[in-house]
Amino acid sequence: MSAGRLRGIVSRTARIARWEVARSAGTVDRKTALILVVMVAAIGTAGFSVADEGLGLEREIYTVGVDEDSRYYDVAVDSEQFRPISIEDVTTDGDGTAGTIAVRDEASVDVVVTRDGRIGHLGDNGAAAYDAFRESVESYNGKLMDEEADQAAAYPVLVSIEYQQRDLGGATDSGAGDGAGDGDGDGDGDGDGTDSGDGTNGGSGDGTGGNTDGSTGDESGADESGTDGTGGSGTDDGDGRTQVPNVGDGSTSTTAPDRPGSISPPFPFESLVLAFLFVVPMNFVIQAYGSTIMDERVKRRGELLLVSPASSREIVAGKTLPYLLGLVGVVVAISWVIEGGPIAVAAALPIALLFLGATFVGAMLARSFKELTFVTVTISVFLTTYTFIPAVFADVNAIALISPLTLVVMDLQGEAVRLGEYLFSTGPFYLGGAVCFLLGIGVYREEDMFAQKPIPAKIVDAIANRIRGRRSVFVLPILFIPFVFASQLLAVALLFVVPQAIAVPLIIVLAATVEEIAKSVHVYAGFARSRFEPSLRTAAMLGAFSGAGFFVGEKLTHVVQFVGLPDLPVGTAAFGPAVSDEPLILAVVFLAPLALHVVTAVISALGASRSRLGYVGGLIAAILGHAAYNLGVITLVA
Amino acid sequence: MSRERDRAGDGEIGGVESGDGESDDREIGTSESARAAWRSRSSGTDDRRDSSRRGPNPSVRSDGGTEAGSNWGARWAVARRELASLRSEKTILLALAIQLFIAAFSSFLVVGLVSLSDPGAVDGYQTEIAVTGDDTDTLLAVANERDGVTAQRYDDRGAAYDAFDAGAVSAVLDANRNDDGQLVVRATAPESGLQTTLLVVQLRDTLEHVERVERQGHVENRRLEQSPVPVPDEIEASPYVGFTYTILLPLLCFLPVFISGSIVVDSLIEERQRGTLELLRVAPLSLADVIDAKLLATAALAPLQAIAWLLLLSFNGTAIASPVALVVLVAALSLLVVAGGVAIALWAPDRRQAQLLYSTATVGALVLATVLPEHPANTVAKFAIGNPTPTTWVLLAAYGLLAIGAFVALERGIDRLERDSL
Repeated sequence: MSAGRLRGIVSRTARIARWEVARSAGTVDRKTALILVVMVAAIGTAGFSVADEGLGLEREIYTVGVDEDSRYYDVAVDSEQFRPISIEDVTTDGDGTAGTIAVRDEASVDVVVTRDGRIGHLGDNGAAAYDAFRESVESYNGKLMDEEADQAAAYPVLVSIEYQQRDLGGATDSGAGDGAGDGDGDGDGDGDGTDSGDGTNGGSGDGTGGNTDGSTGDESGADESGTDGTGGSGTDDGDGRTQVPNVGDGSTSTTAPDRPGSISPPFPFESLVLAFLFVVPMNFVIQAYGSTIMDERVKRRGELLLVSPASSREIVAGKTLPYLLGLVGVVVAISWVIEGGPIAVAAALPIALLFLGATFVGAMLARSFKELTFVTVTISVFLTTYTFIPAVFADVNAIALISPLTLVVMDLQGEAVRLGEYLFSTGPFYLGGAVCFLLGIGVYREEDMFAQKPIPAKIVDAIANRIRGRRSVFVLPILFIPFVFASQLLAVALLFVVPQAIAVPLIIVLAATVEEIAKSVHVYAGFARSRFEPSLRTAAMLGAFSGAGFFVGEKLTHVVQFVGLPDLPVGTAAFGPAVSDEPLILAVVFLAPLALHVVTAVISALGASRSRLGYVGGLIAAILGHAAYNLGVITLVA
Repeated sequence: MSRERDRAGDGEIGGVESGDGESDDREIGTSESARAAWRSRSSGTDDRRDSSRRGPNPSVRSDGGTEAGSNWGARWAVARRELASLRSEKTILLALAIQLFIAAFSSFLVVGLVSLSDPGAVDGYQTEIAVTGDDTDTLLAVANERDGVTAQRYDDRGAAYDAFDAGAVSAVLDANRNDDGQLVVRATAPESGLQTTLLVVQLRDTLEHVERVERQGHVENRRLEQSPVPVPDEIEASPYVGFTYTILLPLLCFLPVFISGSIVVDSLIEERQRGTLELLRVAPLSLADVIDAKLLATAALAPLQAIAWLLLLSFNGTAIASPVALVVLVAALSLLVVAGGVAIALWAPDRRQAQLLYSTATVGALVLATVLPEHPANTVAKFAIGNPTPTTWVLLAAYGLLAIGAFVALERGIDRLERDSL
């Protein structure tokens, strides 16, 4: 590309970006701005008053029948959740037998405290109310004790907690969750022996043991030593095992001695907070972005830009640039607030990119503002889930690394992040965002922007636009791989805690479905938009190309092998068994998928060349074939 | 420049479809809703009543029927169109899916969080701790009384820590008396994510029990002036009740309201921006009627969804007392919020600002609601759990009156609205 052309592209893109900024900056007119300021001021003042008292969501939800002279009356008055009712209205005369309290029929109380101090509960929520009353008594006692002169007697127990890592015999316990504890002990190829219940508490089998930190062999007599929470990445047994991100308290030093009530256990869902922290502010930028893309489609406004010398790529790039910069700013600001480093920014950026890309496609396909709103909300909910759920399994590093937020957590705790881990986490996001933009640009044209076509038709348009001959049929499945990967990983993460009997067949079918769609949808699009001749010979050839392309792309994803995912049976079901040692088996293992992909792609292509119904039929047949193959492989190898 | 509208496939823009020239002399650019409204009034005598509220093309009726009856038919046509567009765009499915997902997600979270604070809820969970130090008797006695904890005494500190490192015990408690007679405990716990949290919660509970025992001792030897109130025994209780009634249920009641308001804002802004509101003006309906119909149709969605959620929850074992009061509450709030949404949509210049104003207004309303004697979420919780106070009923009536007042104010405002400014 000559320098002149490049300069032209850049200048056009920059001009469109400038217009975009000028237009959106100018659209919040004075009336709106004024009203917003007033609202924020009102909310702020109300918010401050709330901060003192709390929202009061639980105010007086339970009732307790208690005598006014009793000490429990003070407890009830003091507590937030209870409303005291006079005991006379509640109990009948004659307090029943020793074990029961007689209550009037029309009384609707949850807890009853008799004069002689017996406490009972009734009703559906009685047990919960009793529990809450117990807690109220304890907090009331705490307040009583605060007023005592002799504080040493008021708080006779002082506790300090120290968190230490321990070296449990060199094996990593990587079972997590409650259901899948057993059975994940196969596939020992890379030394990542999964050994649940290795000397840790017996009984529950949820062997979420400590992580290994091979360098610290000096844990004995470690009373005074603060721990080194930074698991050194020097524990490289040459198997590429990644570090377990430790979602601990963060501070590994000893806490000052304080009463037991002040012990706060480490919050294990740090990643949830991070997910909300990053995704929610991004939402505002995305809303504006979706609006502006949609505005181009209303009343054919975008037609003017389309006929200008700027190509659709330049237009989209120019429109997106200000919002991209805005998102970068948001990510940097949030990272600065949580005291993360460049790695935190680098890990959150792909999330922003995918968000932008998905919103772009959504705005191009949506037929009305309502649809756009819901599509945007769905995208943000999905992204929050996809980034949050895998990070919960902080003890199973392979699953946790599916989400880039794990990288942020690692960065916050001072652990080193390796390039392989970074690519594994963020690769699907980058590629997915890029593919979304490509598809969206494909429909950035007059026939699709201003028409109210049904959405499946538009999607087929978008894909068909990318097809320019057989080479595209080879390349497109590779481009779809990130989505295939992402959906399979999400399925693995979601079904991780489901018992294996259900999870494994489900995963097999889901994986097969997703892969078959990725291999055949573009062939169908090509046939549906008459890019190819609908003959059997063409269909077979296209199927072969598609299958081969997918095979090549799949091999690229074998980076998964290095992260230890094949050790989990669910992971094996999705990605195939771990590579073994013999060369003959290696060759078979390497080439058998090629045959599978080609055959199944040809089947669905043959169906696609006929009609939509033919395509559906061919697709189902291909899915069944693929699932059978997967099942066969697993039973053969396992 | 002629306005061409492509024929809609499955979807439509804001309830307007391209005309297909069915009716004889009202072909160009008439919306189907207008045509339907038109059809619902056959030709006939003029009806001069309330002509100020009628559109620029009042129709005539042959049977001289009441204005209100035919008007309702017309409004019903607009409302039906509005709901049909929701169904064809499948946005309502997305809305339901999002709500279901949020409910399931928050429940999953809470179950997880609660089981962390109440490990007894997790069956068969046993923790072994090592107790060492100078003063271990109380600690041992209390710990061994509790479920889920087994305490072993180690005379030698080093042995205790060795056992910890080897994994034989999950934690070490090193207990000593200080000069004030306080029991100073140094606890050592492993750093391992979820398991640590469970363990620390159990340690905390154990130590709180010890604290109670010690305090009792101090009461007896007169060091404490006031004795603490006796704490009732522990029982098995579902720890999710509080969450279900105070957070989940209000969430499920308020989300449909919020969504309804968002739908109406989008719908009206779209009509304005695409210019189709102009088309409805040639209909026999007045602008107020059209907006009424949209408002009522959208506002009715929220109570229906609330009913569905209440049924789902009671199916799942959560008893709901006073469901009727809850549905009335949701209906009142829905009318209020949707009326506010309509006002915003008619006033704001474009979609972006309309949505921004709407979001800020609803969030602000929720925050401002804390100055009420009862937060609306608390009102919902009280009705559901069966303990409404007189304040609760008063607030319910107040919401109802406020909603009706907002509706009436909106009607008046629309009458005075400059049509051409839309």
